[in-house]
Amino acid sequence: MTIASTSWITPLGSDRESVWQRLLDGETAPIETLSNEQTRARYLVRRVPPQATAHLPPHPRLRRAGAISRFVAAAGLAALKDSPFDPERTALVFAISNGGVIYTRRFYSEIVESGAQSASPLLFPETVFNAPASHLAAILGITGASYTVVGDGAVGILALKLAEDLLAAAEAESCLVVGAEEIDPLVCEAYRQWRLLRDPDRPQSTRGMIVSEGAGAVLLRNSGGDLAIAKIDPGTNFFRRAEVAKKLRRIVEQLDPEVGFCIGSANGTFIDQAEQLAVGGHVPLYSPKSALGDSIGASVLWQVIAAAEGLRTRKLPGETKPLSGPALVLACGLNQQLGGLTLTCSNF
Amino acid sequence: MNSPPSKRVAIVGAGIVSPLGFGLTETLHSLRDARDCVTPVTAFDVEKTRCKTAAQIDDSRLLPRKNLTRREQRLHRASHMVIAALDELLQQARAFKPEIAIVGTTSGGMTFGESFYRSLGHGGECAAAWIANYPPQKQITDALEKFRIEAPAQVIANACASGSNAIGHAFNAIRSGRYQRILAGGYDAISEMVFVGFDSLQASTPEKCRPFDANRSGMVLGEGAALLALEDFDSARARGAQIIGEVVGYGISTDNHHLTQPNPDGSGPRRAMEQALATAKITPDQVGYINAHGTATAFNDSAEGKAITEIFGSAVAGVAGRGVPVSSTKSMMGHSLGAAGAIEAVVTLLALQHSFLPPNINFKQIDPSIKLNIIANDARDEAFEYALSNSFGFGGTNAAVLLRKASVEHGRLGWVDACAPWGT
Repeated sequence: MTIASTSWITPLGSDRESVWQRLLDGETAPIETLSNEQTRARYLVRRVPPQATAHLPPHPRLRRAGAISRFVAAAGLAALKDSPFDPERTALVFAISNGGVIYTRRFYSEIVESGAQSASPLLFPETVFNAPASHLAAILGITGASYTVVGDGAVGILALKLAEDLLAAAEAESCLVVGAEEIDPLVCEAYRQWRLLRDPDRPQSTRGMIVSEGAGAVLLRNSGGDLAIAKIDPGTNFFRRAEVAKKLRRIVEQLDPEVGFCIGSANGTFIDQAEQLAVGGHVPLYSPKSALGDSIGASVLWQVIAAAEGLRTRKLPGETKPLSGPALVLACGLNQQLGGLTLTCSNF
Repeated sequence: MNSPPSKRVAIVGAGIVSPLGFGLTETLHSLRDARDCVTPVTAFDVEKTRCKTAAQIDDSRLLPRKNLTRREQRLHRASHMVIAALDELLQQARAFKPEIAIVGTTSGGMTFGESFYRSLGHGGECAAAWIANYPPQKQITDALEKFRIEAPAQVIANACASGSNAIGHAFNAIRSGRYQRILAGGYDAISEMVFVGFDSLQASTPEKCRPFDANRSGMVLGEGAALLALEDFDSARARGAQIIGEVVGYGISTDNHHLTQPNPDGSGPRRAMEQALATAKITPDQVGYINAHGTATAFNDSAEGKAITEIFGSAVAGVAGRGVPVSSTKSMMGHSLGAAGAIEAVVTLLALQHSFLPPNINFKQIDPSIKLNIIANDARDEAFEYALSNSFGFGGTNAAVLLRKASVEHGRLGWVDACAPWGT
């Protein structure tokens, strides 16, 4: 399965090559402090600048759409910008974790604070997980298969596996896979109470996750192009954190133990050590989450794009030696899911 | 593009929990008896909503007080639904080891999310179990953990078509030769937010749910879980598994008309049904029953009715015969959203296996613009080989799953033996 094109909307920018160069240069996305009016808690976040979606066409579907739908539209349109596609033979697969939580919180808060009779019929449809995918399908004119896959930070692996199955079954000629997430204090509070967030008074610490937002998109085909996703292992579920390293190691062995480098999902939590143990000290390991934050539903797509850029440039942030291929992408979520895939580049 | 192999896909086990009952046998009895499972909502306050009823699963049966570990006691009730459905499935298919679980849901453990939100207003830390057990993938992973099944969980959230999309995608994945065994289905539990959401859209009704009726006024919500054990047909037969049916066709389409309303011309559902028939390589006249999406909203039933009559013919005598028998079993058990497609696939399977047509209750008068052969109010005995199950959802997702009755040529037959009273 080949990668025809990629795009990302990140807190560090939206141009694929320039964001990668900034990562290679050691830049990190700015950290902001978000306050929760309800709990007075503070969270460190990395946000996508408003101009990232300012250029979107004035499509009626985007009139009321929330931030997440705008990220999805921007990433999807950018991925298809220079890649001709037939919308009737293109499938859409959308990866998501928390979904349109801004509208969800607003909708439910109206119920709690003012009663059910105050609930807005305009907000409710946008709370549904597949609303962003529906908007993108409408913008692009996709009329065939569209699947929204929900899960934790590893959901992108499962979405890419679904895309691979669609292409292998000849259900579509190409498949656009998009992952996205948006920031809201409600989600941050959940992660805070789960003891997973970085201390807001210690932004430079490496412990704890910084939540971020944005989208990533890859256009996949059965053939054509230099970059390919060679193998996907949708993994399994872990039920105790102590078993994560072992299960990740099994994925590495099943995919390709001789990879040149690994793009991991380390985010300042238990995942960091587990991935290091799984990959071993001899393979260069880099997590874009260290610079971009953890965008959960979008994160695997960002990892795939980082791996593709690593193969293209033969460079990895923090590494001085030229890279060898293939690339491994490992993904471990916070709620029991993990998986991985390998990328190859025929021009490597 | 090379054509992939086209394998047959057997159903070797099924499990169901819905307002119709716990398990296949109770479900079958309720369908035969045309049981109306819609009752006043008790889970949350409905004083300020227009609709005040739903089809709910009895917690006194769902949440056993004994033999639960501390971890299991913290699980969401949707997890218990999935566990119960998987338990029943595994009792029929003990040797079934899925490579992947493909399931649909719309809101997972939403009520835990609601509790979390409400707790924030009181300033304290909430129960950690609410956060950990709320996400929509958690309920299937809980069930996989319970039965020590090592398989990834691919959770499809295509709104009300989720369950059908999960079964359909699983069908295609086995059919293409890439998988041997897949656990497929769906689940959803009723929640205040979703209930109020449909109420705010005035999609739910304060009256009885009357799909395809001239006086229909909307849907009622339901809940539940259903799972199917799908396996490559040759593999199932080689290992002597009991085959209780086949999935033979699947269609998916996206209707870009509106986020919440189908195109009135019915083109989205029509494309999904035509694709399902084409996959199965059968003609419309071979289909003996359609379990309609049939939410009883004005827009859905009109668009679906139009699509069905365009493909299968009209029920008006002299135009194209009586038309294929159609019912919406949501009239009995409500609309269980992400679970609906899976629950209705099991209902359709029961209808095939036990040669009867499930009823569309609360039906008084056909909408003159919908020329369907509605199975009004009472179940009818009728044998047929193929049946279609439709599911459509917000976002314009349309899915149609085509099932085939298990026959003697399938080898070891299941189900008929297990539920013999209905066949004798």
